[in-house]
Amino acid sequence: MKRILISLSAIAIFSLIFVSCYYDNEEALYPALNNTCDTTNVTYSGTIVPILNNSCLTCHSKASTGGSILLNTYDEVVASAPRLTGSIKQLSGYSPMPKNGGKLKSCSIAQWDIWVRKGMLND
Amino acid sequence: MKRLSLILFLSLISLGIFAQDDLMNLVNQSTPKEINYTTATFKSTRIMNGHSIERMPHGQLDVRISHRFGTLNSGGYNFFGLDQSNIHLGLEYGITNWLMVGVGRSEFEKTFDGFAKFSILRQSTGAKNMPVSVSVLTSVALKTLKFTDQTRTNYFTSRLAYVGQILVARKINEAFSVQLTPSYVHRNLVATELDPNDIFALGAGARVKLTKRVSLNGEYYYIANPKTYLSQQVYNPLSVGFDIETGGHVFQLFFTNSLGMTEKQFIGGTTGQWKKGDIHFGFNISRVFTLVKHQKPANY
Repeated sequence: MKRILISLSAIAIFSLIFVSCYYDNEEALYPALNNTCDTTNVTYSGTIVPILNNSCLTCHSKASTGGSILLNTYDEVVASAPRLTGSIKQLSGYSPMPKNGGKLKSCSIAQWDIWVRKGMLND
Repeated sequence: MKRLSLILFLSLISLGIFAQDDLMNLVNQSTPKEINYTTATFKSTRIMNGHSIERMPHGQLDVRISHRFGTLNSGGYNFFGLDQSNIHLGLEYGITNWLMVGVGRSEFEKTFDGFAKFSILRQSTGAKNMPVSVSVLTSVALKTLKFTDQTRTNYFTSRLAYVGQILVARKINEAFSVQLTPSYVHRNLVATELDPNDIFALGAGARVKLTKRVSLNGEYYYIANPKTYLSQQVYNPLSVGFDIETGGHVFQLFFTNSLGMTEKQFIGGTTGQWKKGDIHFGFNISRVFTLVKHQKPANY
C-alpha cells in the first residue's frame, strides 16, 4: 500500500513538471528581435560591452576561470581582439568560444566585426 | 537436519546405489530455493557523466562533488586546463530501496537539476531468473543563467529541459558489467529553427574490475539526431577513466570531451572533440552517509 502511494505521488509530481513542455525556438518566438540587427550604431559601450557581459565575462573576468584571457576593461579587450575574432567565429586554429554555451548570434558577430573594422574605438 | 539425515540414511539403505537421483531430488525439495540478487553492477550511481543502474538504498544520503577542468589542449600556460574548473554539487537520497531522488547545481549555465530513479527489474538468479537490471530515470534541468536579451519577453518555461532514460544493465561476471541507456532529452527553447527540441541518444557504458578497489570505466553516448544542423556543432560524449573506492568514498577520475555533468548538458551540448584534444580531466567524489540505520543490511 505504502509502495503504491509513493509511486502514485512520484508520478503525479513528475507529470506536473512535464505539463510545461514547449517546442520553442528563438527565431520563431521572437521574430521581431531577430530581424533587426543594428549595424549602424555600433559602439564599444553600447554594443560590445553588453555582448561581453552576457556571453564572456562569466569566465573571462578573473584569471582562474578565464584561462588568462581577461575582458574586463577596454584595454584588455583590445589586447585580445584578434584572438577573440577567431574564437567567436569558431575558426580552426582558435579555441571556439563561448565554451559549451553555443555560438554567439550572427548579429553579435557582425557587430563585433563592424567595431573592429571601425578601429576599435572606445566610444 | 536430524530428520534430513534420517531420510538420507533410510533412503540409502532401501535404494542402495541407484538412489543417487532420488536423493538429489529430496535434498532439493527440502531446501527452498532463494533469489540471489546481483549487487554492485557498478561502483557508483554514475558510470562517469551519466547514471548507472546503481542507486542509494533506503535511508542513505550521497553527497557528490564533481569537477571538470579545462581542455588538455589549452597548453602548459593554463596547466593543461587545470587553471579552469567547473563544479557540480549534488545531494542524493534513497527514499525506498527502489526509488532514489537527487538535486544538484552546476556552475555550467548556472543550472539546477532534480531527478528520480526508479528501479523496475533487478538482475537475479536462483528462484527468480532475471538476466538484466532495469531502471527508469527522469530528470529536470533549470538553467538560471541570465537571458542574453533582457528586453524581450522571457518565459520561465524556456529555462527548462527534461530527460528520460531507461537504464538496462547486466553484470556479466564478477569483473565485467555493461549498460545500455536509451535517452530522450527535451529542451523547451532552442536557438534556431534547425535545432531540435527533442534529442534521442543511445548510451553505452562498461566497467572492468581491475582490483578489489579499482575499476576501469568507459561511457559513450551516440546522438541519433543529425549533428551538423545545430547552431553549434555538437559531438558524441566519450569518457574513459577509473573508479577508486577508499572506505566510504568513491573517487571517479577520468577524461571526457564533455564539460557538462548532467544529462541535459552532455547529451546535445558537448562541443569538445577528442581528436582535437578538447579533453577535460574530471573527477566525481561520492561520500555516502547513513541517515536511517537498518537492523540488517538493506536488501537493495
